Amino acid sequence: MDLIFSLTLNGLATGMLFFLLAAGLTLIFGLMDVLNFAHGGLFAWGAFTGVWIYGLSGNFFVGILGAIVAGLVLGAITEYLIIKPVYGNHIQQILITLGFMLVLTEMLKVVYGPNQRAAQPPEYLDGSFTIGDVTIIKYRLFIILMGIIIFALTSYVLKKTKIGLIVRAGVMNKEMVQALGINIRLIFLAVFMVGSAMAALGGFLFAPYSGVIYAEIGLDYGIFAFIVVVIGGMGSLSGSLMAALLVGLAQAYMQYYVPSLALAVNMLLMAAVLLFRPQGLFSVKGVSTK
Amino acid sequence: MMKTLLKVDEINTYIDQFHILQNVSFEVKTGEVTVLLGRNGAGKTTTLRTIMGLNSASSGSVVYKDEDITKQNTHHIARKGIGYVPEDQGIFADLTVGENMRVAMQKEDDATKERMDWVLNMFPDLKKFWNKAGGQLSGGQKQMLSIARAYINENDLLLIDEPSKGLAPIIVEKVMESIQEMKEKTTIVLVEQNFYMASSIGDSFYILDDGMTVHSGKMNELKDDEVLKKKYLGIA
Amino acid sequence: MRQLGKVQISTWVYLLFGCLLAVVPFVYDNLSMLFLIIQIFIFGIFAMSYDLLLGYTGIVSFGHAMFFGVGAYGVSIVLERNEPTLFFLILGILVALGAAAIISFIAGVLTLRLKSHFYAMLTLALAGLFLVAAEKMRSLTGGSDGLIFTIPDFFKDRTNMYLLALISLVVIFFSLRRLTNSPLGRVLVAIRENEQRTMSLGYKIFPYKVIISVISGVVAAFGGVLYALSIRFIDTTVFAVDVTLDALLMTIIGGVGTLIGPIIGAGLIEYAHHFLSELSDVHWIFERWIILFGIVYILVVIFFPMGIAGSIKNMYMKRKHKKEAKVQQKDNQIAS
Repeated sequence: MDLIFSLTLNGLATGMLFFLLAAGLTLIFGLMDVLNFAHGGLFAWGAFTGVWIYGLSGNFFVGILGAIVAGLVLGAITEYLIIKPVYGNHIQQILITLGFMLVLTEMLKVVYGPNQRAAQPPEYLDGSFTIGDVTIIKYRLFIILMGIIIFALTSYVLKKTKIGLIVRAGVMNKEMVQALGINIRLIFLAVFMVGSAMAALGGFLFAPYSGVIYAEIGLDYGIFAFIVVVIGGMGSLSGSLMAALLVGLAQAYMQYYVPSLALAVNMLLMAAVLLFRPQGLFSVKGVSTK
Repeated sequence: MMKTLLKVDEINTYIDQFHILQNVSFEVKTGEVTVLLGRNGAGKTTTLRTIMGLNSASSGSVVYKDEDITKQNTHHIARKGIGYVPEDQGIFADLTVGENMRVAMQKEDDATKERMDWVLNMFPDLKKFWNKAGGQLSGGQKQMLSIARAYINENDLLLIDEPSKGLAPIIVEKVMESIQEMKEKTTIVLVEQNFYMASSIGDSFYILDDGMTVHSGKMNELKDDEVLKKKYLGIA
Repeated sequence: MRQLGKVQISTWVYLLFGCLLAVVPFVYDNLSMLFLIIQIFIFGIFAMSYDLLLGYTGIVSFGHAMFFGVGAYGVSIVLERNEPTLFFLILGILVALGAAAIISFIAGVLTLRLKSHFYAMLTLALAGLFLVAAEKMRSLTGGSDGLIFTIPDFFKDRTNMYLLALISLVVIFFSLRRLTNSPLGRVLVAIRENEQRTMSLGYKIFPYKVIISVISGVVAAFGGVLYALSIRFIDTTVFAVDVTLDALLMTIIGGVGTLIGPIIGAGLIEYAHHFLSELSDVHWIFERWIILFGIVYILVVIFFPMGIAGSIKNMYMKRKHKKEAKVQQKDNQIAS
């Protein structure tokens, strides 16, 4: 009982991190038709920058803020320098974002040094507590809560605010949005920045969770983000949440029972979805934000 | 002499390698309804899209209110006061009627409210289905929503692409009525295949054929010109 | 006729270069430098196979390492389990190439119908699966410890290995050039330029893509074979994403769709890798040499999508264009 609960909690926490990473990817794809292979790099940058600022300030939430700011800034740079020149050309997009991923990863080593870094949750989130006979690790619970908050916030913005409506309208018909007098480029930029900030936040939350971070986490976790986005359906936020939790749970259980096959199972899942249901498991219409 | 609001001068537009518009020129006078006529594939839709900046002209110019807007971005063009009702209506399917209107509204001032009242008065269906998803509306309702979206802003020119297409006659009457009323406040360029509709609300006309402007004049002259109608419009 | 004449001149130039390179080991016997050049030849072959995919059909694969690895493991496993005779070497090569052909056929049939984004991801996933499989099937692959094996004595000699790699490179280069200049190659280029239009011209695109991906897979596997033979040791890193990335960098920087470009790219990157890594004693920044290439790569994608070879070719064409505008127009149509 304790084991199953613990694995489930672990899986949900992992899933929430995947969600934070996949959310930006799926929105960027839905709106801009751009698959950003550098997205994982922002996750890694968020992790290192957040941990650095957390270390400087001694305040975990300042670290969170730092990661988010880093994500916003890097997102803006990425959109402006890397994505903008190649809108509408898929092959060039794939090539250039992949190249940028390399640069981001290597730059990380230049800025923060090539070694891995340890990270700890703050005292008040460290340790665990027990209810009945189950043990709950505080930090995992915290990640799940953060995931729920971010999902709720994003859903609210997309459903209720004007900018959210414009983003959803843009997913459906970019030309019409422009013909109504809206500068879709600015919307692209905003979505790109927010999506990158979510990835960076995910990276920072990941750091104390895994205990150690290294430059290649971008590449390693970027793959999970792609798996999630494919399974959830490109462009679907709630689809990504469901898929992220599914992949997170699969990962947690596999890692406990058959650790050697954990990644392979998720890869196979993605391959199967791509081959048999390329629009994703949770997406009804292919592109939807519901 | 009425003032020229829009002047399209010798524009050429390519889509891929196809030369769609070949030296298309026409003028739109303030307060008039100018109708673009012509067979399918004559280039009417591309003409409207080129004005909106959705297709780019390789040469020639589009001058609106004495300003060259040929190379401007679509959203800038729209902000200058040009509303666009595309052929496929361009409804945001997952958004409700109300949300479609909200995305379209550039301001929320009294004038916008006034126009909103007019719209809901003219198209009571929109009020009725305010919370229904745009994708679930009937063809006629989508057309009304699309017109409403273009009219809600303070636009001096509306580009309306085949509003009668695929609609039941009774709905066509309704759409015509709305255009006739809008005409009082704004200038309109109308692409229309339905000659009855075109001739009853149009003031002047241009005929496009194979991407070229081949004829123009006053609508009431065209009504009696059987030869021209037969040659370019296939109307006996 | 004019076209034919030009091809012959460039063929002679390439052959001359090949002969010059063949003399190198006899006049200059720095072992580590020879080893570096061997690696350049091998990655030149691998990058050409990548160029066949990317440059001639417009497919971006993130899993090309899969075939490189299959080739390397194929020959290694056969040699590790048998006597290092010429017979088993040839058998090993055939096993490696056969396995790559079968795998690339199956993978191609499964993946090539997908859109570019999905294709890239699926190939990434497939290569990932091969990496996991190589790690897990310890009895066959030695897992992460890798395999050490011996090869026939003849090829233990560095000069002979060098000549083997060089001859392979030259033969594969001319064969692929022949292939891409054939009617089949023209269809491939048409697919890359405009898939819809090629389809509407009545070409069934899918079989062409499968054929090309099988050829590309087999050539990549041969690169893997030579790689394994040249270092006589192999581990799971041959399946790593980095291997695919190397091919991608070499192809893009060298020049997509030119075949000679990837070889130039392989030379540049392998040499820079070697040279800049040595400089890391001077300053640690040189250990991060990949940044330099990443940035160059990005700039190339944006500003010189034709790469080094493609840009030179373009410049050459333009100059010629001025001289004989009319004839050139025809050539251009054929070349593009």
